[in-house]
Amino acid sequence: MRNNSFARIAAVAILALAIAVPTFAARGTADFTKFVAVGDSYGAGFESGTLHERHQVFSWPAVIARQVGLQLCLPTATATDNCFAQPLISFPGIPGNELVLNSTGTGLTIIPGQGAPEMLSFGRPYNNLSVPGFTVGATLALTGASSEPGLSPLILRGLGTEVQQAIAQHPTFIAVWIGGNDFLGAVSTGSPAGLTSTAAFAGAYNKMLDDLIAGAPNAGIVVGSLPQNFAAAPLTARLPGILLDPTGKPVIVSGAPVPLIADLGGGTIGALPSGSIVLLSALGDLQQGFGIPPAFKNIPPFNALPHVGEPLKDSQTITPAEQAQFNTRIGEYNAAIAASASAHNVAVADIKGLFDRFASSATTPILIGPFTFTNTFGTGGIFSMDGVHLSDLGYILFANEYIKAINSAYGTHIPVGSISQVFQNNDPDTKDALGLSIPPEVGAQMISIFNSVNTSAPAPPLRRRSIH
Amino acid sequence: MRRFSRTWVLVSAFILVGASAFGSGFSIFEQGAKATAMGGAFCATADDPSAIFYNVAGIAQQRHTAFYAGGTAINFANEFAGDPNDAFTSGQKGFYKRHTFVPPNAYAIVPIGSNLTFGVGVMAPFGLRTDWDDPWIGRQASRDANIKVLSVEPAVAWQSTSGVFAVGAGVEYRRGRAVLSRNQLQPNPFNGRISDVASSFLSTDWKSGTTWNVGVLFKPGTWRIGAAYRADMDLDFKGDLTVTQIPTGTPIDALVKAGLPPNQGAKTTIPFPAVASLGIATTAIPNWDFEFDLTQTTWSRFKSLTVTGDTSGVLINRNEDWDDTYSYRLGANHMVNPTWDVRFGVLYDENPEPISAVSPLLPDSDREGVTFGVGYHRGPWTIDATEFVLHFKRRSTGTANPDGINGIYRTDANLISLNLGYRF
Repeated sequence: MRNNSFARIAAVAILALAIAVPTFAARGTADFTKFVAVGDSYGAGFESGTLHERHQVFSWPAVIARQVGLQLCLPTATATDNCFAQPLISFPGIPGNELVLNSTGTGLTIIPGQGAPEMLSFGRPYNNLSVPGFTVGATLALTGASSEPGLSPLILRGLGTEVQQAIAQHPTFIAVWIGGNDFLGAVSTGSPAGLTSTAAFAGAYNKMLDDLIAGAPNAGIVVGSLPQNFAAAPLTARLPGILLDPTGKPVIVSGAPVPLIADLGGGTIGALPSGSIVLLSALGDLQQGFGIPPAFKNIPPFNALPHVGEPLKDSQTITPAEQAQFNTRIGEYNAAIAASASAHNVAVADIKGLFDRFASSATTPILIGPFTFTNTFGTGGIFSMDGVHLSDLGYILFANEYIKAINSAYGTHIPVGSISQVFQNNDPDTKDALGLSIPPEVGAQMISIFNSVNTSAPAPPLRRRSIH
Repeated sequence: MRRFSRTWVLVSAFILVGASAFGSGFSIFEQGAKATAMGGAFCATADDPSAIFYNVAGIAQQRHTAFYAGGTAINFANEFAGDPNDAFTSGQKGFYKRHTFVPPNAYAIVPIGSNLTFGVGVMAPFGLRTDWDDPWIGRQASRDANIKVLSVEPAVAWQSTSGVFAVGAGVEYRRGRAVLSRNQLQPNPFNGRISDVASSFLSTDWKSGTTWNVGVLFKPGTWRIGAAYRADMDLDFKGDLTVTQIPTGTPIDALVKAGLPPNQGAKTTIPFPAVASLGIATTAIPNWDFEFDLTQTTWSRFKSLTVTGDTSGVLINRNEDWDDTYSYRLGANHMVNPTWDVRFGVLYDENPEPISAVSPLLPDSDREGVTFGVGYHRGPWTIDATEFVLHFKRRSTGTANPDGINGIYRTDANLISLNLGYRF
C-alpha cells in the first residue's frame, strides 16, 4: 500500500514536471537591443515591382522593430545612431516603375521613373539585410560585390554576406525568413526544373543557422516556414486554365469547359490538363488570344483577337503534375526548416499557415477589426500589385506571425502590429492618428507615403481573361 | 410667479447643455445633492423636494412650500486600450473628449391643507455622451453619441394624518433628442491605405412622451420603508441623416460618391427602462439616519438599436440584448448639530451590457461608488454639497467584439453635487 502511494506520488510528480518543463526551449533571449533581419524581397519590403522607402517602412522586420520599441533610421541617420537601419531608397524605388491600379480600377498602370539609394554611405551594416531575389544559399555566398545582379550591391555593399553582416553587428536577436526564392523563380517560370534541391536547401539552411549561432551564440533567433499553397498569391491563384467568356464565365462545349492550349513541355502543344494554373504573368498574352484553341478562331467575340490558336508558353502555366512536384519540394523545404530549427532550438513563425489563410480568403475573408481582406488581385488588400509580394498591410500580418512566434517561444508580450498603421488619415478630424502608435520619426517617413501616387504612363488594361 | 417662470426658463436652458450616463446604462441617478451624498439611498428618506425623483410619496411629509435646485458637475476620465494581440487595435488608445457635464435639477413643492402636497420637478433622469477624442480607432463604430433628456414632472402626494403612511404619484413629461456621428472607412486599393471616405451625422428632432411614477412611504416608529416605481416608455425619434464624403485624393472618390446613401430622413426608437426602488431606513440611533436601497432597472427592454432611413432602409441595426440591472445603495446622514449634517454613502451599480454589446457607443461596466456630503441649514436656507467618487470596473470586450474594436475600457468619474434649498 505504501509502495502504491509512493508510486502514485512519483507519477504525479513526474507528470507535473513534464507539464512544467517546456518541451521547447528557445535559444538566447528576446532582447532586441541589436535586432537584425536576414531575408529576401519580403524582408526588404519589396512591393508592386519595386523597392522604396514608402514601403520599406512596412517591411516585416521594420514592423517588428517598431513593435519592440525600436526607431527606424531616417535617411540622414549615422552609424552611431541607435536605430533600425534599412537601405532606404527614394520613391519610386529600384527598379522603379511601380505598379498601381489605374484610375478606373480596371487595370494597372505604372508610376514611371526610378529612385536612388539614400543610405549607401551609412557607416555600418544595415539591421535589415534582406536582399530581393536571395535564396538560402545566397545569404551565405553573395556579398554585394558590384558584379552581383539586382539590389545586392546596394544592400550588402561588398561588406560581406547577409549572414556575415548580421554577425558583425553582434546581434541580440535575429529574425530570418528565407527560402521563398528557392522555389518562386521556378514557379514563376512554370517549371520545377529550377527548384533548389532539397539537399542543397537543407544544407544551406543548416549552415546558415550554424553560422549565425556560432557568430552570435547568445542571440535569440526566429525563422519562418514557407507558403505551400498555390491558391494564396494572385500570381498563381487567379487564372484558371480554361476558356472564359467576356463575363468571366467558363465557355461550355459539349457540357464541359474548354481547356486552354499551351506548350506542355518540350514543344508538345496540347490542352492544359484540368486543374492547371495559368500564371498572372500570362495575362497580357491571354488578352491577345494566346491559349485559345484554334476552333474559336472564327467565333465571335474571340475572332477579334490576333493570336487565337497560338499556345501559351510552357513558362506561363503550371500543370497539376508540376504543381505536385512543387508541393512536394516545398513540403520538403518546410520539413528541413522545421528540422533545422528544432536542432538549433529556434522558434518557427507559421508563415505557411498565414498563406493558407490567404488562400482561403476568397471564401473566408480575413477579418481585422471592422474590415475584411482577401487575396483578390488588385483590390483584396493583402497583396501588392505585382501579385507576388505583399502590401504594406500584408507585411504587417506577416510580421505579426513572427511576433506571435517570439511571444510563444520567449514568453514575451510584444504587441502585434496594427493595421491602423496604414490608415490614410485623410479626415481633417483624424489625420493626427499616426501619433498614436508610431514613433514621430517613423511617422515623418510614413507621412510621405500619404502623398498620393499619381500615374502618367499609359494604362494597360487589366481584365479577367475575358475577350472583347 | 414671474420669478418662478424665470427660474424655469433658466433651468430648462441649462438642462439642454447635455448630460452623461452615470447610473447604469444611460440613466442618471444623481438628482439631488443630499440623496447623492447618501449614495442614492433615499427612497425611504425622501425628505427634501428631490423626492419627486426618488420617491414621490416623500413630498407628502414636507409641510412647507419649498424650492430645491442645483446640479451635479460630472468629470470623468475614460481610456480605451487596444488588445495587444489584435491586429486592428493593438497599441491604440482612445479617450473621451474632456467635458464637464452638469445635469441640473429643480423642484418646487407646495403643501395643500394638512395631508396633500403638490410638486413639480425638472430633471434629466437619462442621458448619454460618449464623445471620442479624434483621432479614434473606433470611429467607424462611433465618434460621438449623445442622448439628451429633459423631464418635467408634476406630482401629488398624500399622507395620513398621523404621518405614518404616504402615497404619491406623478406624471413625467419626457423630452429627448439623439445624435450619432461616425465615419465610414474603406480599404483603398488605389493607395493601399485605409481611408476615411465619409462621415455620417444623425440628428433627431426633439421628441416627447409621457410616463408615470408612484411611490409609497411607511414610517412606523424609528423605521421607514419606501418603495417607488417609475414606468418605462419609448421615445420614437425622427431626424435627419447627413452623409458627407471625405475626399481621399484617389480614384476611389468617384466610386464612393456613386455608392453613398443620400441625405435623408431617419428614425429610431430608444426604449427607456422602468426603475423600481425599495428602501429601508432607520433612525434608531439618535441623530443618525441609515438607509439601504435596492433598485432594479429594466434595461432588458433595450434589445437593439435600429436606425431606418427613409430612402435607404435599415442604416444601423445593432443587437444590444441588455440585461436588467440592480444597484445596491447604502447611505447615512448624521445631524451633527442643528446647522450641519454630514453624509456618507456607498453603492454598487450593475451594468446592463453583455460583453457583445460593449462598444464605443457606450462601454459600460459595473461601478463602485463612495460619497461624502454635508448639509448646511441656516434659517429657511439649505445648502447641500456632495463629493462622489465613482470607479468603473475594467471592461474587456473579449476578442470577438461585433464592432471589431477589441480592447479594454477604463473609466473613473468624479461628481460634485450642489443644491440650494429654500423653505417658506
